[in-house]
Amino acid sequence: MKTIRVNIQVNNEKNVLQVRPYETLLETLRERLNLTGAKEACSMGACGACTVVVNGIPVRSCIVLTAEVDGAVITTVEGLKENGELHPLQEAFMEKGAVQCGFCTSGMIMTAKALLDRKKRPTKKEIVKTISSNICRCTGYKKIVEAVEEAGKKMA
Amino acid sequence: MKDNFNIVGKRVVRSDSLDKVTGAARYTADIKLPNILVGKVLRSPYPHARIVSIDLKRALKVPGVKAAISGFDAYGIKWGVFRYTQDHAMLPTDKVRYIGEDVAAVAAVDEETALEALSYIKVDYEPLPAVFDPIESMKEGAPQIHAEHKNNINIHIHIDVGEVDKAMGKAFLVREDTFKAAGEAYAMMEPYAVVASYANGYLDLWMPNAGPHVRAKALSNLLKLPLNKVRIRHINSGGAFGGRSEVAPGDLVASLLSIKAGRPVKLVLSREENATSSRQVHDIMATIKTGMKKDGTIVAKDYRVIYNGGAYSSTGPIATSIPFYVYEECYRFPNVRYNGYRVFTNKGIRGMYGCHGRAFLAGNEAQMDLMAKELGIDPVDIRLKNGLKPGEVTATKSKITSCGLKDTIKAASERTNFKKRWARKSGLKGIGMGCIAIMCGFPMGFRSGSSCYVKINDDGQATLVTGLVDNGQGNESMVIQVASEVLGIPMKDINLVCADTEVTNLDPGAYSQAAAFVGANAVRVACENARKKIVSIAAQKLRVKAADIGLKDGLAYSMKEPDKKMPISWVVREAFFRGEPVAATGSYFPNIDFEREWVSRPWGQMAGTFSFGTSIAEVSIDPETGKIAMPRFTTAHDCGRAINPMAVEGQMDGSVQQAGVAAITEGNLWDKGHLLNPDLLEYKVPLACDMPDIDTIIISSLDPEGPFGAKEGGLTVRMNAYSAVACAVTNATGELFEELPLTPDKVLTMLERKKGVKG
Amino acid sequence: MILPKFEYKKAKSVAEAVAFYHDHKGRARYLAGGTDLIPLIKLRLSTPTAVIDLKDIEELKAVSRNNGGWLTVGANVTLFNLKNDPVVREYFPALYESLDATSCETLQMRGTIGGNILQDTHCLLYNKSLEWRTARGFCYKMGGAACNVVPNAKACFSNYCSDNAPSLITLSAQVKLVGPRGERTVELEKIFSGDGRSPFLVEPGEILTEILIPLKKTQGAYEKLRVRDSMDYPLAGVAVSVKGAAARACVGGIGLAPRLYDLKNINEITIKEASDRIYADAKPVSNTVLSAIYRKRMAGALLKKAIRRVLQEGWK
Repeated sequence: MKTIRVNIQVNNEKNVLQVRPYETLLETLRERLNLTGAKEACSMGACGACTVVVNGIPVRSCIVLTAEVDGAVITTVEGLKENGELHPLQEAFMEKGAVQCGFCTSGMIMTAKALLDRKKRPTKKEIVKTISSNICRCTGYKKIVEAVEEAGKKMA
Repeated sequence: MKDNFNIVGKRVVRSDSLDKVTGAARYTADIKLPNILVGKVLRSPYPHARIVSIDLKRALKVPGVKAAISGFDAYGIKWGVFRYTQDHAMLPTDKVRYIGEDVAAVAAVDEETALEALSYIKVDYEPLPAVFDPIESMKEGAPQIHAEHKNNINIHIHIDVGEVDKAMGKAFLVREDTFKAAGEAYAMMEPYAVVASYANGYLDLWMPNAGPHVRAKALSNLLKLPLNKVRIRHINSGGAFGGRSEVAPGDLVASLLSIKAGRPVKLVLSREENATSSRQVHDIMATIKTGMKKDGTIVAKDYRVIYNGGAYSSTGPIATSIPFYVYEECYRFPNVRYNGYRVFTNKGIRGMYGCHGRAFLAGNEAQMDLMAKELGIDPVDIRLKNGLKPGEVTATKSKITSCGLKDTIKAASERTNFKKRWARKSGLKGIGMGCIAIMCGFPMGFRSGSSCYVKINDDGQATLVTGLVDNGQGNESMVIQVASEVLGIPMKDINLVCADTEVTNLDPGAYSQAAAFVGANAVRVACENARKKIVSIAAQKLRVKAADIGLKDGLAYSMKEPDKKMPISWVVREAFFRGEPVAATGSYFPNIDFEREWVSRPWGQMAGTFSFGTSIAEVSIDPETGKIAMPRFTTAHDCGRAINPMAVEGQMDGSVQQAGVAAITEGNLWDKGHLLNPDLLEYKVPLACDMPDIDTIIISSLDPEGPFGAKEGGLTVRMNAYSAVACAVTNATGELFEELPLTPDKVLTMLERKKGVKG
Repeated sequence: MILPKFEYKKAKSVAEAVAFYHDHKGRARYLAGGTDLIPLIKLRLSTPTAVIDLKDIEELKAVSRNNGGWLTVGANVTLFNLKNDPVVREYFPALYESLDATSCETLQMRGTIGGNILQDTHCLLYNKSLEWRTARGFCYKMGGAACNVVPNAKACFSNYCSDNAPSLITLSAQVKLVGPRGERTVELEKIFSGDGRSPFLVEPGEILTEILIPLKKTQGAYEKLRVRDSMDYPLAGVAVSVKGAAARACVGGIGLAPRLYDLKNINEITIKEASDRIYADAKPVSNTVLSAIYRKRMAGALLKKAIRRVLQEGWK
């Protein structure tokens, strides 16, 4: 089957790729670009572990075709550092103890990043609502909510 | 006990979290090796069928296919944790016993090719009658699942202490109830994955696992390879919760494929396969008869508990026992009889769970509340009256040493104003309490202990080598923190090599609640032995007494004259000069009665020590829909000293979700042998919006044996949170639950039953 | 889980999309947010030769008031953007609430209102992998000869799980469909076929391009039965919109199509009557995570809850 040429900017790097028309963004990131931070946990869009930010919006990359995001600006968890400094969310997740097994962490952080980018200092209620898009099996979410609140304060 | 530590007891950032927040942490599915192949498994569509033939020929002809295997390519060996439970071939050749059972597999250059090849494998089955319900399965004439097990009874645990019938006859109040619970899904976020790489006679394997050494042993048996040729390597694990304790069929499949193809093979299960074909949790039915004196003293307990064991033994004897033991480790039972039956059915393979036994434990606690109420006693007093105290011995002869049960009951009930709120409840609001004890380890023969090797490198940094495992709970960070305390070397300067059978030694693994008490203790001992060597040289060099030497921040210094100091790196270099590098080993073996056996001799010291805890749930029920809202959850935990309180709190928070809120939302649903919710949409793992406000209280009983007084941290809440919810619902409705989870349809039925009684 | 092979086409206009559809001889599927379609393809429940992406069609992205007194919503407007449109909040509270109750925030940002309306029906025994379904046996909806839930049933009992179609129906919304044979506008409640194998009366190649809602202020509410408060599809959902003394109520999540109920005068008696009728009409079967009889009862109960809330919030 004919491949499709797509231009995507991932973590500030431009990529011109020939992808299969039925290739998901998650496959492209993990297999072509070696960005394995986004995880495949359910493959059906039901858990959020594969969330990356596409043009400012959190997207479940397991149910999006790479062909759909031609021309997009994409940020994955690997691209969050700026000038070698951790993103406030990454710092807060560490300091607040919001990380356990780590398998949901990338998706959780990227979902929260999209929130903090569109909303300064979200309330606890807003944070809970946003991260209710993602499943975490370990933490009970308490420290994740605290971490997002903390990062929100730092970024405001 | 010394109480003034540099780093133990502090809320430190976990050593593994940097890699996890940057996406750098590697899990099995992230592994890339040269020439790696993709493995795919053909699974049984039948719950029970004889395998007539398996034909792999056409599959092997598909271009890009490098190997195809079935059980006929294995060695006819069956695995079982115990000599008497060896019934699981992992790839069967006689018959299939559940839908989703591994039957054949291929390895190909990519997934599309592998899927195509699977469609060409021809398996001839002769379907057999199947049975799914354990009660049906125990009846005469039911389909026999394993020839050697009459009436499909896999395990019968029989414990009989004191004179139950006599005591029951004399009791003031006797009550018998039956409670059921649907089995849960582990639902770890990482679906099962395994990479096997066979080269030069050695088989290297990566997979999420809770005990690499026991896994290597199982595979060496199954593959007829010497144990030293099977090497389980370290990799991050995306959650386990008990579901990654045993060898998995995929381990054998990937190994056989790699051996056959001579190339590495990666097998990643889909979410659905992870549910149907890795492991599930037992459905349980518990009949509980309790006798009480007029003053609330429990005089007798009589139990009959039936566990739906699925198709194979797995950790059967342990799974059939644990709910009883964690309960008898908490309360005083002068007379008790336990009949636990694990019954084979044509359902998927089952294992132990962090929240194992909810029907039994929540049933006991809710029934106790109702009986106590009849006697005019509240839940706090009934628990204080019957709860074990330090120095007491359990019904099956385990001595309790450190025990903060009473303190957890008091702390949690004071924090919630429990007594008043329980007595003056309004409308459909309720508050309830659950207690439990957890053994820190259990008898695992020579695998019950752990050991550690530590070396101090020439820059004053340290390397620890230990068999300890981390499934996400923070065990790796915990032992680095312990080593940092003993050696005075910052955590960032300590490297950890763990859970790699080639270089590490035996350890009980991360499924026996022993990581803190046993694993960290071994690390402490090794580091103390290394510390002695450092101190001895530093004392000579600084010309002070050894007893005056302190180690902190990479420095050795005189505690009396702090100006006298030198970097530990100088000490280490001096040691190299002397031809005696600073390296040491240490081990810890808990005080357990090794005559104890799950079936044949169920008494004796179970574990070196026990953790305790009390959880309190507050609920309110919508009278129209039956939906339970849970605004607040309070939980107090005696985990000895919390080495990292932040990590312990994280375990407690997670337990409130996985056991507490799950008591409302989670349960596997079945249509005969078909699992109806093998996904993350219809299997209801609670979301952030479903969580109560959580209040965690850490009680430190300071165990005399534990490293810095530490014991198991977190699992305790996993085994009492559902009890708190069940008791709160009983408080709100005056009724006992019949079956967990307490989904709104079931709660509405409870409310109506209540009305019916009134009318 | 990998996707099966298909071609991908990006359409720049509705006409181009319809032409692509024609090229693929009806074996193509239109793709908007993909939150419904891609999982269906992964599970091999849909096996198109091509997907035609509608997201770049500018004309489908707008929300506009037009002179005829309608709010026109382009089918590609995301659920999240529609929810945050001030007109929706002010004029159509039932729709606001149903949008807010749809799935989770992340999927609201990807899913479109057109896709939400035309989502396939669900069943616990249907939305499964090919391997699972092969083991269980194919049902009517998969092209088989039986229902796997109700023995001897003559039809499919899958559930239509859009949260927003019931709200839109209470608002008397219409939809515009454009296809190979031109365009037509129909009342939303008329697009349901009642046949689980093909639940919509949409012609091959037709694209739902616009939703038209009469621009009149309403009071309203949406009550949704679910186990978790996010992510879950409705196990029953009741939307109510009130204009003056009259109310329209619509029940979703049970069976193949939403059911509409008119209450000419809202009072205790008409509410009870409607609730009883809803209870009588609802025919859930055991194909969700909660029991059928419970869902049947809840349909009636949710109506009372919704109306009570409208009356309290609206007329306080």
